[in-house]
Parts: sequence; structure tokens; C-alpha cells
Amino acid sequence: MGTASYQDRIVTAFTACAMFWAVLGMLAGVYVAAELVWPTINFGQPALSFGRVRTLHTTLVLFGFGVSALIGTAFYSVQRTSHVRLFAPGLAWFVFYAWQLAIVLGGCSILAGWNSGKEYAELEWPFDLAIAVAWVAFAIVFFGTIARRRMESIYISNWFYGALIIVVAMLHIVNSLAMPATLGKSYSLFAGAQDAVVQWWYGHNAVGFLLTGGFLGMLYYFLPKHAEQPIWSYRLSIVSFWAFVYTYIWAGPHHLHYHAIPEWVQSLGMVMSLILLAPSWATMVNGIMTVSAASQKLRTDPALKFIVLSLAFYGLATFEGPMLAIKSVNVFSHFTEWTIGHVHSGALGWNALITFGTFYFLVPRLAGVPLYSARLANVHFWLALAGVMLYVLAMWGAGVSQGVLWLSLDELGEVRFSFNDVMAAMKPYYLLRFVAGLVFLVGAMLMAVNLARTFAGRRTIEVAPPGSRVGAGGRT
Amino acid sequence: MAARFSILDLGKVLFRPGAVFAALAAESPPVTRVFFGFALWVGLLPPVFACIGTLNFGWRLGVEPVFLPRDTVFAISAAYFVALLFGFLSSAVVARWMAVTYDASQSLGRCFALMTIVGAPLAVGSVIHLYPHVFINVLVLVPALIWSMYLLYRGLPIVLRTGPNRGMLMASALIAYLLVAAVSLLGVTVALWGSGLGPRIGT
Ligand code: HEM
Ligand code: HEM
Repeated sequence: MGTASYQDRIVTAFTACAMFWAVLGMLAGVYVAAELVWPTINFGQPALSFGRVRTLHTTLVLFGFGVSALIGTAFYSVQRTSHVRLFAPGLAWFVFYAWQLAIVLGGCSILAGWNSGKEYAELEWPFDLAIAVAWVAFAIVFFGTIARRRMESIYISNWFYGALIIVVAMLHIVNSLAMPATLGKSYSLFAGAQDAVVQWWYGHNAVGFLLTGGFLGMLYYFLPKHAEQPIWSYRLSIVSFWAFVYTYIWAGPHHLHYHAIPEWVQSLGMVMSLILLAPSWATMVNGIMTVSAASQKLRTDPALKFIVLSLAFYGLATFEGPMLAIKSVNVFSHFTEWTIGHVHSGALGWNALITFGTFYFLVPRLAGVPLYSARLANVHFWLALAGVMLYVLAMWGAGVSQGVLWLSLDELGEVRFSFNDVMAAMKPYYLLRFVAGLVFLVGAMLMAVNLARTFAGRRTIEVAPPGSRVGAGGRT
Repeated sequence: MAARFSILDLGKVLFRPGAVFAALAAESPPVTRVFFGFALWVGLLPPVFACIGTLNFGWRLGVEPVFLPRDTVFAISAAYFVALLFGFLSSAVVARWMAVTYDASQSLGRCFALMTIVGAPLAVGSVIHLYPHVFINVLVLVPALIWSMYLLYRGLPIVLRTGPNRGMLMASALIAYLLVAAVSLLGVTVALWGSGLGPRIGT
């Protein structure tokens, strides 16, 4: 009987790991936030220094938490939207083990001081190779499943997951091209301004196709499923998919305004970023209208609350982004905490919240029982809302003050405040951000406990694809 | 009660909001009444406090107090006041627009009253602008903000007479609007400032 049902055990495994990395990664975030308030708490240990733990934070949350959640939900939804089991399940398990191992060892290598010097791609070349292999295996499983589908059309969530897989493969391979010197050190094939442009082509599209596109795939499968409503406008979702894919790829140079790259490249990046608002908001409207249409039979359970709120922050981040891409705003915001505020309104408000909502929906289905405690999940909702709001407001405050201070000149036209002055002035905001992060982290820990209790002593239940004669049948 | 909805009810609005919400649900107040009776006064508090505080103590961004010329402080405070009133009104209009989708009351008076009530804790908390030190302001305004959020989620379904589920959705949608409005304000301010408009700090 087991052979005919969907492969969901691997989904459970990815979900569990994603939760683990979420807690650990945010713990690292809280720790670096604390270091900015109390700089001595690295105790003189290189492994605990800001530079290393910060890198650990971004690596764990983006690739441990984010990507594990994306691969897990991709495996779950691609089977259900194709009405077949995963293609090459053995390979899928290889993806799982390879990915988790890469994060564990990669995390250690960062603490040990290995670093390629490229943001969000800090892991050194041995890891780059391993990641490339695992990613190609992921692609084979995913597209293999789609190729065997028993439905005619390919559902919209799969377009987004598919774009994630293809584009990230392309970005990762090109950006990681490097000449190894030793096991732990390599030199990029690109130099100078070229290196910067390639790096931010990578960096921005990692944001675009991983943190945005991938999670939109999650949204497009789990939101309608949960609201028990079709997408408000399927056509709009397709149109915005293509507009999104086409536009995002060009927007990278907005990370390099006023840097040593050609003026027209910067302007192109700015214009494309502004255009990007349209497909981004089309998607948000589509999501909000899908939930609203469902209000008749809406059970406002915790999962849906998280998803709805995540749409609000998605709206914020994708509005704020184009605005920061305008050169006359960027001249002020760049090199300030405003950028960090923008990052986390997306990362906490959108990526984390939608994943939380999805997991609250998914785990009870994997376990075949209701959520252990809906009350705990509600508490988590408020903690998450408070945490992300405080985080974003603290960083807006910090960013504006920093911008004012960086840009003020004295009688001789020299900068008026030294770096130390400015950092000292940031203390209240950093303290607030630390508290905000702690609140958010506590919420995530409650969730981990809640999900673990839901699953305790159980195994992933077996669900058969529709039309097959075995299993519980029909439940998708 | 709703017809009398005025600044004199401020204490009730802040600490016994249930009764105020129920009264607003029972009877929709006229927009002018909300404006002159409540919004105007609530909106006046932060600029007045900020003005007095900045003139007397200078604004401390953490480094050293920044003193701005009197005229500039007055101009900024006036702009602050206008921006706040515009903020209340525009969010009321947005709320009414959203109300169609969430099957909530489309009375502009109710929406307006609700949005000013949500702003009230922050406005009262802004008394701390009298001493414009960032850290102390943060300490006071954060709890005020949390209280505001609570009033929004709690009050919306009652005042606008929609179910708790839809009320929750609509409150989240409004948060999206408020956040976007806030960040736009930041963006416009710094862009104007970058182009040479606005106060000079330093020299
Ligand atoms: C329409 C969509 C978006 C646009 C046009 C956009 C634009 C921008 C701009 C202009 C910056 C600042 C660059 C600088 O001054 O250095 C930035 C930074 C960033 N954004 Fe966005 N953004 C968008 C959406 C998002 C979303 C949804 C996320 C999700 C988490 C996100 C994550 C980031 C990150 C991580 C950075 C920091 C990069 C770094 O400097 O390390 N963005 N974005
Ligand atoms: C408990 C929650 C969190 C806390 C306290 C936290 C804290 C921090 C801190 C202190 C930094 C360094 C900022 C600086 O250098 O000034 C940072 C950077 C960053 N965090 Fe987080 N973080 C949290 C959650 C997350 C999550 C869930 C994600 C992603 C899904 C994320 C993504 C990032 C990214 C991409 C950066 C680099 C931003 C840049 O370079 O512009 N964080 N975080």
C-alpha cells in the first residue's frame, strides 16, 4: 500500500529541519543584534565575532530555513497538483541529506572563518560544488514529477517553484565561478566593478526568485487550498508571473547606485525596480481577494491569519523596495539601517509569516490530527506581529537618524559625525531591535513546540493520489 | 453617546474602549462631528508637544542636541499637524473603500472615528516629545503603539459591524495600508530633503 501513496515523509523531514534552522538562525540573528548593543559579548572569540555570526545568521535563515521550507512545500504541492508521486524518490532523499549536510558543515566553516566574501554566497567552493549537485538533483525530481503529471495544465504554483529552481541554478553557478587556491579559499573569476555587478545580479535575484518567487509558489498552492477557494483571478496570476520573471532579472543594479558602474546601468536598475511594483502588487491583490472571497466559510484559524498578515508585509516590502531604488531616496537610505528594516519587513513579515501559516496548515495534515494547540498558535500570531512591527519601526528610526547624521557637514564641509558617534547614537534602536527579535524568536519557539507536540508519537499519514485504488483516497 | 463623541471622551477611548466601540456601532457619528470634536484635538497634541520640546531642549539624535531655528520648528510642526489630519482622513477613506470587500459598515463617520481612536494612544504618548530624547521616546511610544494595534483589531469588527473573521482580515489589510503610507512619507521626506528642501542640520 505504501508504494502507491504520495511521498510525504520527505515533506515532514524538510519541515522539521526548516523549523530547526528557523530557531537556530533567528537565535544567531538575536545574538548579532545583541552584539550591536553590547559589543563585548563576543568575548574575544573570533568564532563569535559579528562578521562571522552575522554571516551564519543569513546563511541559516535563508538557506537552512527558507530553502528547506521551499523544497519541502514544493515536493508536497507538486505531487498534489500533478496527481502523481514524486519522480525518483531516492534522489529526493539525496537532496534532503545533501542539503542539510551542506548547511551543517557550511555553518561550521563560516564560524571557522571561511568566507568567499560574496554576500549571501559566502560558502567556499567545496560547498558551492555540493550545492550545485544537490540543486540539480532537486530540479530532476521536480521537473520529472511534472513530466509525469496526470493533469493537462501545469498549476501556477509550479511555475513559480520551477522559476526558482532554474534561476537559482543559473545565478549560483555563474556567481560562484572561482579559482580555488586552497580548500578554504578561492578567488572569483570576476574582478572589480564586474564582480560587483555579477554579485548583485545574483544577490537581487536571490531575493527575487527565492525570497519572493519561491514563496509565491507556496502562497499560490496553500492559500487557495486553505481558503477553499480558487485563485481570485487565475489569468492575473499568469500575467504577473511573466511580468515578474521578465522584470526582476534587470533590477540588480539598484544595489549599486552611485558606485563605480555605468550610469545607464544604474538607471536601468531603477526603472525596472519601479515597474516591478505592478506585478508584485497584482499578486498581493490576487491573494487578498482570494481570502476575501472565502469569507463565507472562512474559519479564521491561526494558519490563515499568518498568511493574511504576510500579504500585508509583502505589500510593504514590495512598495518600499521600488522606493528605495529611486536614486534620490537611495542616496539617503543606502548604508543605513533602513535597508535592514526593508530586509526584515520582507524576511520576517513575508517569508517567515507565510511559512509559519503554511506549516500550521501542513503539519496537522501530515500527522492526520488537529493542531496540538490553536491557542498557542494565536499567541504566536501576536508575538510575531509585535516582533516584526517593532523591528521595522526601530530600523526606520535608526535609518533616518543615521542618514541625517551621515549627511550632515560642518562649516568646512567635512562630515560632522564620526562613525563612532553615529554608532553610539544607534544604541536605543539597536536595543529595541534586539527586544523585537527576541519576541519574534520566542514566537517561533512556541511554534516549534506546538508542531512537535502535534506530531509526537505519530508517523506521516499515507495519502493516495486521486484515481488510485489504494489508501484513504482523494484527499489532496 | 456616539453623537457626543468628543475629545472629552478621551479617557474612555483609551481605557474603556468597549463602551465607546459599542456606542459607535449603534449610531454613526457625522464626519464633521468627529473632525471638530475629536480628530482635530488628537492631531494637535503631537505637533504641540514636539514644538515645545524641540525649542526648549533641542532634538537629541543621540549625539548632541540639535537646535533648529524657531521659524523652522514652527513650520515643521504645522506640517506635522496637517500630515496627521490628512493621515486620519485618508485612512478613513481607505477603510471605507475596503469595507465593501469585507462587508463592513461603509459609514465614513464610523471609519473616521475608528482611525482617530487607533491614533489616540500614540497621540497621547507623544507627550514625551516634550523631552525629545530618542531613547526615552522609544520607551514610551512602543507600548502606545501596541495599544493602538490592539484597539484596531479589537475595535474594527465592532465599530464597522462585521464578523470577527472579516474584521481580522480587514484590520490586516489596513495595517498594510498604514505601513505603506508611513514608508511613503519617509521616502518623500528624504527625497525632498535630498533635493535641498527642508531644514539644514549642522551648519
Ligand atoms: C519590488 C520588489 C523589491 C524591490 C524593487 C527591492 C529593492 C531593494 C533596494 C533598492 C534595496 C537597497 C539596496 C541598497 O541601497 O543597498 C534592497 C535591499 C534588499 N532587499 Fe529588497 N526590494 C524588493 C523586495 C524585496 C523583498 C520581497 C525582499 C524579501 C525578503 C527583499 C529583500 C532585500 C534584501 C535582503 C536586501 C539587502 C541586500 C543587501 O544589501 O545585503 N526585497 N531592495
Ligand atoms: C529573530 C529574528 C531576527 C533577528 C533578531 C535578526 C537580526 C539581524 C541582524 C542584527 C542583522 C545584521 C544587521 C546589520 O548588519 O546591521 C541581520 C541581517 C540580515 N537578516 Fe536577520 N534577523 C532575524 C530574522 C531574519 C530572518 C527570518 C531572515 C530571512 C528569512 C533574515 C534575513 C537577514 C538578511 C538577508 C540580513 C542581511 C541584510 C543586509 O545585509 O542588508 N533575518 N538580521
